[in-house]
Amino acid sequence: MSARPNETMRRIPGIRRVFRHERGDVDVELQFHIDARTDDLVRLGLGRDEARRAALAEFGDVKRYETETMRIDRGYARITRIKELLWSVWFDFAYALRGLRRSPGFAAAAVFTLALGIGANTAVWTILDALMRQPLPIDRPDELHAVRRADEPNEDYLNSFQRFQRLQRVMPDPQQLTAMSALARMYATAGDQPEPALTQLVTGNWFRTLRVGASAGRVIDLDDDRVLDAGAVAVLSDAFWSRRFGRDPRVVGTTIRLNGIPLRVIGVAQRGFQGLTVGSSVDLWVPLSMQHVLRYIGNYSANDADIEKAWAPQEGIRWLILLARVPPASAMRIAGALDRQVRGDLEQQVAKADSVQRAYRLREHVTLRAVPRGFSPLREQFKDPLRVLMASVGLVLLIACGNLAGLLLARSSARSHEVAVRISLGARRGRLVRQVLTESLTIALLGGALGIVVARWGSAMLLRVASSGSRPVPLDVSNDVRVIGFAMLVSVGTGLLVGAFPAIRVSRFGLYDAFRGAGRVMGGRSSHRLPLGRVLVMSQIALSLVLVVTAGVFVRTLRNLLVIDPGYEREHVVVARLDVRAAGYDSAQLPALYDRLLGAAAAIPGVRSTSLSLNALAGGGTRTSGFVVPGRTLPPGESSSAQENYVTPDYFNTVGMTLAQGRGFTRSDKDGAPKVAIVSESMARHFFGTDRVVGSRFGYETPPDLEIVGVVRDARVNALREAAPRLVYRPLAQGPREYMTSLEVRVAGPREPVTASLRNAIRQVDPMLPLRDIVPLSDLLERGLTSERLVARLAGSFGVLALLLAAIGLYGVMGYSVSRRTNEMGVRLALGASPGGVRLLVLRESLMTSAAGVALGLALLLPVQGVTGRLVYGVSPRDPATVVLGTTLLLAVTAVAAFVPAWRASRIDPVDAIRSA
Amino acid sequence: MGTLDLLQGTLDLLILKTLSWGPMHGYSVARLIRERSDGAFLIEEGALYPALHRLERQGWIESDWGLSENNRKAKFYQLTARGRAQLRAEVATWQRYTKAVAGVLEPA
Repeated sequence: MSARPNETMRRIPGIRRVFRHERGDVDVELQFHIDARTDDLVRLGLGRDEARRAALAEFGDVKRYETETMRIDRGYARITRIKELLWSVWFDFAYALRGLRRSPGFAAAAVFTLALGIGANTAVWTILDALMRQPLPIDRPDELHAVRRADEPNEDYLNSFQRFQRLQRVMPDPQQLTAMSALARMYATAGDQPEPALTQLVTGNWFRTLRVGASAGRVIDLDDDRVLDAGAVAVLSDAFWSRRFGRDPRVVGTTIRLNGIPLRVIGVAQRGFQGLTVGSSVDLWVPLSMQHVLRYIGNYSANDADIEKAWAPQEGIRWLILLARVPPASAMRIAGALDRQVRGDLEQQVAKADSVQRAYRLREHVTLRAVPRGFSPLREQFKDPLRVLMASVGLVLLIACGNLAGLLLARSSARSHEVAVRISLGARRGRLVRQVLTESLTIALLGGALGIVVARWGSAMLLRVASSGSRPVPLDVSNDVRVIGFAMLVSVGTGLLVGAFPAIRVSRFGLYDAFRGAGRVMGGRSSHRLPLGRVLVMSQIALSLVLVVTAGVFVRTLRNLLVIDPGYEREHVVVARLDVRAAGYDSAQLPALYDRLLGAAAAIPGVRSTSLSLNALAGGGTRTSGFVVPGRTLPPGESSSAQENYVTPDYFNTVGMTLAQGRGFTRSDKDGAPKVAIVSESMARHFFGTDRVVGSRFGYETPPDLEIVGVVRDARVNALREAAPRLVYRPLAQGPREYMTSLEVRVAGPREPVTASLRNAIRQVDPMLPLRDIVPLSDLLERGLTSERLVARLAGSFGVLALLLAAIGLYGVMGYSVSRRTNEMGVRLALGASPGGVRLLVLRESLMTSAAGVALGLALLLPVQGVTGRLVYGVSPRDPATVVLGTTLLLAVTAVAAFVPAWRASRIDPVDAIRSA
Repeated sequence: MGTLDLLQGTLDLLILKTLSWGPMHGYSVARLIRERSDGAFLIEEGALYPALHRLERQGWIESDWGLSENNRKAKFYQLTARGRAQLRAEVATWQRYTKAVAGVLEPA
């Protein structure tokens, strides 16, 4: 029979004992069973060997049961170990929280600092990610490819409708190829006032090929696009539906007027879909067949064609972006097939052309380019600035981490007594290190959680700052999982980095030093505390220098750009941007309209002169045409095009462009009179080789029918940063069918009253005339500097912040060092040192630290050329003047920061100091 | 009558019941089960040990090393409070089960 165990079983309430797994235990247990059975059988009369064999047979496969039992034990041991680990981690976490609650000031400062740092980083990253990495919100975006010119270095995606139809037949499935126009601003009226609406024309299969559905009603399909000029339907985007119609489902089926043409609203596109251009939000989609009826004019390239007639049937008008949905694996093969078709067509088209034409046209090749992230001019514009900002804000976070690490170091040395006691009671160092890290991780995670809130607000604010114009950039920055993931990653990294410093200290902790030096530290032999803190501050100062110098360079860039003389008057010109074409005017009605507009504007008090132009300055559209000069052929590879504009005679006066030679346009340059033109200096030099060209002739083709009557000084008509293009001006009277888009007035005096009056005047001429905006020319120019402004502003703020943080860091370290060396200072003073001498001592030490930091910073500046080099203007990224200024600023600020501790050191009462030891 | 195969759940029940008569080592448990059931079950006695260790992990029994009656080192098991409760529950279930089956098998 069984016996009771000798001792009562030990019971540990709650926690099971962890079996330190030994193979031996199970083996012993099983062997006991077999031996006991053997003994019993022997007692029943069997021989020993026979009994043993019987016992083993009854038992079964010993090995197997042993293994199975051990497996159960092992699993349990593992679970218990994990549970114990989790429990101790939880304990550390709770302990850290308690510690933070005991010093709420420190906790608040630490968490707040990190929240700002992590939040700022997350905000910038969110935008960078949304712009650069997020794929389109459609099904299998990796299958989306665009047809582009393979022979052009610039991106050229425009094709004619005829080509689209021919290429469709080459595809394995014709519906795999779809086409869309460039975005255009049209005017939608669903009430009284026409409002701008970003519109895109698409083929019947566009939505189907993209697999984008409707959240209300239906989307455009093949039947809507079958017949030219029919298909008067429209699909709203979700954003437009929200903004304009308050998500009213009854809008489906109603009529909306686009550029005056009634369209039936058939549905709303699925939520979150804004088109394929990242950074622009399409408002309306309309079938391609409506192009002519709507008077659509977006990006196009015309050759031998009449843009006033319907575009789709004309081979010479390239205006469509072709998209193919093909699996990436077949892309090359299909691209080859498309290219062969294109070249076959080209051969046919140029069969009867001359050799120059043939050579020119037959250069063309097409290929497929994957566009899983859509198209984005915004991306190009902000790619580099955002990267620079990301780096800057990362540096700021590092500096803030430095401060926090310093604080933690100070705290940990204040608790060194406690640590010493714990070690002597048996705590393992690994455990202590883990506790220190948990503390910093707790702070970091709390900061990160708060930082997410900061980031939400921050990214919205960044988008607003980055927007040039009334509507904020429509980037989807609300993708929560990625945002939270990034913030957590940064938080953990920050926590580990910051915690590393006190953790290193703890792991190298010397018991003897701790117990011996409670309070009294003999000077000279500085324990490994101080250098750690000094190293920290040094790196902070180095990083600050980099940030301050970079900020300075960007600020100077902005200033350089703002003071560029564009070649025309920017302050006293107000521009009204109209869309006459969208209003539906007949070309016969245009001259009368223009006269009325000019008259109404001229009547406004304060207006000195008025003019009209086809394309507005500083960001209006541009028209580029090819020109030939008789007797002169340009070298191969040189462009034969120039930017062209139609203007009224008063234009140059109104906008302040200088006529260098010849005359301006007059009333006698009218329809029927000899055709004239005014060119810019660079155009003259490019085409004629000299700028003395008054009287020379040139034209769009031979024979040349344009006579040059004047030459204007070069002007940056497109943007401040863009060099002056080659310009050709024609008088409006000799191009009477042109639709002007810009009305300029020169004001003498304040601009605001004129702006208001101008708006009324235009309304009076025609209340339904779409008016995009009325802005001073200087505003238009500055809108082109959005990214530079963003960078300058933010880099500047980061620089200031970095400076502040580094100063605080230095102040903290020096202050701490002084308080630890109270004893030493007291002794010095007692032995006759002057307060000034002690001050100098402290100041000198801090200055050495700053100087070391500055030297390190200068070294770090050396590789900072690449990306920043592309962003600066008129100044080098390592501009010596800025570097000197930055260095001086940094040294000055750190000197001030060190002053207070120095002062305190000199005020130490020697008697107190020695006595308190 | 041939021997019956034993289900795992039933083995657990038998072990718990056996241990309710007092702490004992694995061999005693095996012997008692064999005696009380008149050897009706054919089980390899080794199968007891995975079951015992599993029951311990689940918290129904606990173990400790001790000395057997002839002073050999052996592992002793006993029921925990939870194990006692679990035993009561399983016995009740078993009784309900057998009653239901018997009810169906009863001559109509």
